[in-house]
Amino acid sequence: MVQDCSHERVRTLVIANYHRPQTVDEAVILAGRPDTVLLAGGTAVNAEPASFSGDVVDLQALDIIGIEAVAGGVRIGAITTLRSISSSDLVPDLVRDLAHREGPNTVRNAATIGGTVGAMDPTSPLLTALLALRATVSIVHPEMTMDHPIDALLEDQSLLDRSLITHVTIRDAGSAAAEMTGRTPLDTPIVLAVAHRSRTGDLTVAAAGVSDRPVLVDRAHIDDLEPPGDFRGSPEYRRALARVLVDRAIAGIEGGGR
Amino acid sequence: MTIDITVNGEQRTFECEPHESLRTVLRRAGFHSVRYGSDSGETGASAVLVDGRLVSTDTMLAVQADGHAIETVEGLAGPREMHPIQQAFIDTGAIQSGYSTPASILAAKELLDHNANPDEAEIRDALGGILDRETGYLRPVHAVRRASALLLGEEPDPIEVVHLDQLMGAEDEEHTDREGLSDIAPRVVPSKDVPTTRVVGTAAPKTDAIKLVKGNAAFTDDTDLTGTLIAKVLYSPHAHARIVSIDESRALALPGVHAVIHHGNVDRVRYASGGQSYPNPLPYDQVSFDSKVRYVGDRVAAVAADTEEIARAALDLIDVEYDILPAVFDENEAIAPGAPVIHDEPDMDGAHDPSRNIVHHLEAATGSVDDGLAAATHVFESTYRVHQVQQTPIEPHVAIAEWDSDERLVITTSTQVPFHVRRMVAPLLGIPVKQIRIVKPRIGGGFGVKQEMLIEDIVGHLTIATGRRVRLELDRMEEFVSSRTRHPQTITFRSGVDADGKLTLQDMRVVANTGAYGTHGLTVQMVTGLRGLSSYNAPVKSFDCIVAYANIPVPGAYRGYGAPQALFALEAHMEDIAEALGEDPIAFRRKNWTKVGDPLDIAPKLGEGDQDESVVPLITSSGLDEAVLQGMRAIDWSRRDDPAWRAPADRPHIRRGIGFAMAMHGTAIPGLDMGGASLKINDDGSFNLLVGATDLGTGSDTVLAQIAAEVVGVGIEDIIVYSSDTDMTPFDTGAYASSTTYISGTAVKRAAEEVRKQILDRASTMMGVPSDVIDLYDGAAWADSGESVTLEAIALSSLHQEAQHQIMATASYVSPESPPPYAAQFAEIEVDIETGQVTVEKLIMAVDCGVAINPVTAAGQVEGGMIQALGYGHCEEMVYDEDGRMVNASFGPYKIYRADEMPEIEAILVQTMEESGPFGAKAVAEIPKDGVAPALRNAIANATGAYINEIPFTPERVWRALQDA
Repeated sequence: MVQDCSHERVRTLVIANYHRPQTVDEAVILAGRPDTVLLAGGTAVNAEPASFSGDVVDLQALDIIGIEAVAGGVRIGAITTLRSISSSDLVPDLVRDLAHREGPNTVRNAATIGGTVGAMDPTSPLLTALLALRATVSIVHPEMTMDHPIDALLEDQSLLDRSLITHVTIRDAGSAAAEMTGRTPLDTPIVLAVAHRSRTGDLTVAAAGVSDRPVLVDRAHIDDLEPPGDFRGSPEYRRALARVLVDRAIAGIEGGGR
Repeated sequence: MTIDITVNGEQRTFECEPHESLRTVLRRAGFHSVRYGSDSGETGASAVLVDGRLVSTDTMLAVQADGHAIETVEGLAGPREMHPIQQAFIDTGAIQSGYSTPASILAAKELLDHNANPDEAEIRDALGGILDRETGYLRPVHAVRRASALLLGEEPDPIEVVHLDQLMGAEDEEHTDREGLSDIAPRVVPSKDVPTTRVVGTAAPKTDAIKLVKGNAAFTDDTDLTGTLIAKVLYSPHAHARIVSIDESRALALPGVHAVIHHGNVDRVRYASGGQSYPNPLPYDQVSFDSKVRYVGDRVAAVAADTEEIARAALDLIDVEYDILPAVFDENEAIAPGAPVIHDEPDMDGAHDPSRNIVHHLEAATGSVDDGLAAATHVFESTYRVHQVQQTPIEPHVAIAEWDSDERLVITTSTQVPFHVRRMVAPLLGIPVKQIRIVKPRIGGGFGVKQEMLIEDIVGHLTIATGRRVRLELDRMEEFVSSRTRHPQTITFRSGVDADGKLTLQDMRVVANTGAYGTHGLTVQMVTGLRGLSSYNAPVKSFDCIVAYANIPVPGAYRGYGAPQALFALEAHMEDIAEALGEDPIAFRRKNWTKVGDPLDIAPKLGEGDQDESVVPLITSSGLDEAVLQGMRAIDWSRRDDPAWRAPADRPHIRRGIGFAMAMHGTAIPGLDMGGASLKINDDGSFNLLVGATDLGTGSDTVLAQIAAEVVGVGIEDIIVYSSDTDMTPFDTGAYASSTTYISGTAVKRAAEEVRKQILDRASTMMGVPSDVIDLYDGAAWADSGESVTLEAIALSSLHQEAQHQIMATASYVSPESPPPYAAQFAEIEVDIETGQVTVEKLIMAVDCGVAINPVTAAGQVEGGMIQALGYGHCEEMVYDEDGRMVNASFGPYKIYRADEMPEIEAILVQTMEESGPFGAKAVAEIPKDGVAPALRNAIANATGAYINEIPFTPERVWRALQDA
């Protein structure tokens, strides 16, 4: 969140080679090369103020797009845009709402769910929703293909090294609710809490703004959180917000959820 | 590499580098409508339709677009044609500067292509990606609605002024139901004093609308840059340091680098950068490049190179050794003993006490404070803190310098003050004024930040050094940290009140922070004192202000110019006094606020111009009482006293409140601001109006055209406006101090009146009747007999046929007066008492701006100004780390409101007839900045009982106040 305003970190994007693979296999090979960045919508990568030098692999031609119903849930191709997700009847309401909450239409029209997972923005509403709903992320690696629980990816981001996200799957839409606080109605949340109750009755709560990434939280141990502080909110304030918003989110699903 | 893109239906091949953004490639190909706002996409100014969807081209590589179809505004309609969406944006007054209008039009097109009849939420969502710093989004929303109707073949709502009933003196009568009123038309409360006019007072479309809606070349950067050197500036990474050594040899050795300039090779000429009249106010504490840096973002060196990439690379090759010094950021700490001395250079000129970081010490008083205290039954004192914010026009500073064919230096620049820039840059460059020409194209917003000679010296130096055309455009981060901002202040008000609730004393003490350089430090703080002590009558007024240097980015002019700071403190203070006395907050203020005939006794002591201090100006017009009644009605003021409304039973953590603040501003700087205008007739009876005034997007060119048209009896379409170019137009001090309509407008009116005389003389001769029986209207001269002769015939006679003579006149105007506009600002909010989050539901401002020459542009000024002011009070702030580095120097972290999260807003124009103004006009541009922050503060107090004396009202600040309450 903190930016250096001297000239050294002003964006200097040097792209040696641009690739637009036509197949996932081709993309995975390219992704495995050093100094390579994957480009989904580009809204995060191309906006990154830090310097980058290397190859770009543009995923736009891959057949990992679209939304399909699967047993109990939905499977979303990695390069499906947030606009498509936020307007799909197949997607759980809360995920749809929080995909919409990721940014204005200029972002939603280009940004993708795979890019959102890969960027791991610590305040991402969609990522927090996926975490609360226990989504799984399908990853293709040169040697293997695996499904990871999204919380595992958030815990160990190296799982994404030299690999390609192909799908995100939500298997249990259940009932969910979100609560957040920001400076303005659509500002980046200072703290966001998402509660989800599965069809079997299990409660999961995820929060953003209380760690360096969205995390699962236990209502009973919120006071143990050690949130980062910045101009949006101090650690003390974020902890207080977490208590309030988690309670409200849980109450929200008891009241029907989305 | 080569890419193929279908642009506006035509298959095109482009050469590009893999790293180049689509914006870069499209602009290079001449698609001027694709505009720069930032590199990271938040502004939306660069948005185009890619396969029918609105996408920012900042964050899309050109290569990503290979094989896709792109639509830009250039493709919507051919020359002299207009797409219905473009027409709707013109009709509704949705355009101010027009910088981002092409993107907004494309947003509308995307929406309407998929949803022919959208509701307001869908329209706002569609516009959500285009940040608009100007309109408050209301009129763009109307434009999309109107475009929808036009495309569906339906009859759109008419755009006519809605007249509201006057309420003063008719409180008990039945009034027109507000529910049925059109929300697309400006709302005006007419005054009986205002004479009937034909063009003035109408919602005439902007004179410059075509180029803006069509994305035609209009702005400084909309030019062919082939062969132009690109400049970049090396900024200080330290808040305070001496430059021990600087070595540019490695940078100069880089192929493609043409010049590197710094303190070692640029003459040391002291100046003050604020764009103000001659002589510029002291101190002269700047030089183009210094051997000391005083804030993170201060200039160190500049480079001119063949490309931006080379220029950036060259910056990395300039070796600078710094001796880092202790820094101080807070104004109160800066003037404390032992603070680091920021200006210790021996040639420092004109600061009050630089050894104590005191730039100015201002004192002004009417009467004795002791007398004021002695007369008081109650004395109240509170301290308020206002913070630093940035103007953030979507078009950043950009300037291009070149030698013309006569080897004069031409600087094309996005400036509010072209004539000041010419005079001020000349000594820095060592070139006489006559050898410099400043051209101001359209400006993509300014709000004061371009009332500065900020980067023109850099491009001038580099053109002199290279002999080449040089362009410098600030990027968004540079705009935040190295341009100009609003002054932070610590303000203490002490007021005495007698047993009748009348003020006996207002004592205002201010410590202001002018950052690293003085620039507008004197005059902004004078306005703080003027505005803080002119709104209410008190027999004794006292102002004491210390202006301090500190190691933060430099504050300068920002719309409102010291008044928003003063009014926040004043209107919070007055609210608190009313609360403490148990009085109604409006009734208490009404008892004390200035009325027609009251003296503005502090004004002569805090004026800039050539004023006689013994002459005390009087209030000559005020619509404040009416404005307050209109605002109270519009917001349903009585709800604030209803406990059930304030604490809704179904939402236990929510409290509601309504707050009020009055605002009073000035109209131009008396005795100082001067505007000039020339008007000449053409063969067909049309006119060229040449003005030095600079239209920032406010619509001033349109308003000036309306004034001219009214006088010479033509439609606005017959007035061709050209502004402003130091070679071509008369002098004007520029766009600031709410002066253009009043000062430049009077100059236009005077020039037009002289032209009118010449036309009448010619018509008299042609018709053989005395000129005093002739009137001008509908493009003709009409005798009282009904006989007429067209202005075309008059022009042809005058130019070609008999006693040939160019009908034309030049006039200028400087005013001895500064009649104040007044306003009543209301805010309705909700507070989440568990989180501190404040949600602003509604803002209403009823403004007495005299006669609105154009109610649509005037209302647009109010709406847009209110939303800037909302940011000031609610969510915008420049935040620094412990080393003085701004940590939120981009949109998003620096939060400005989007279209899809806006509160309801309403502007009501309450007419008064200000005899000194053209057709009764006063100012309207700045007053909308003054009342929102205190109205929010007072609404929060109404909702929660928490009285918060520092802005912005971020969730944590409110939460902490609630914890403490």
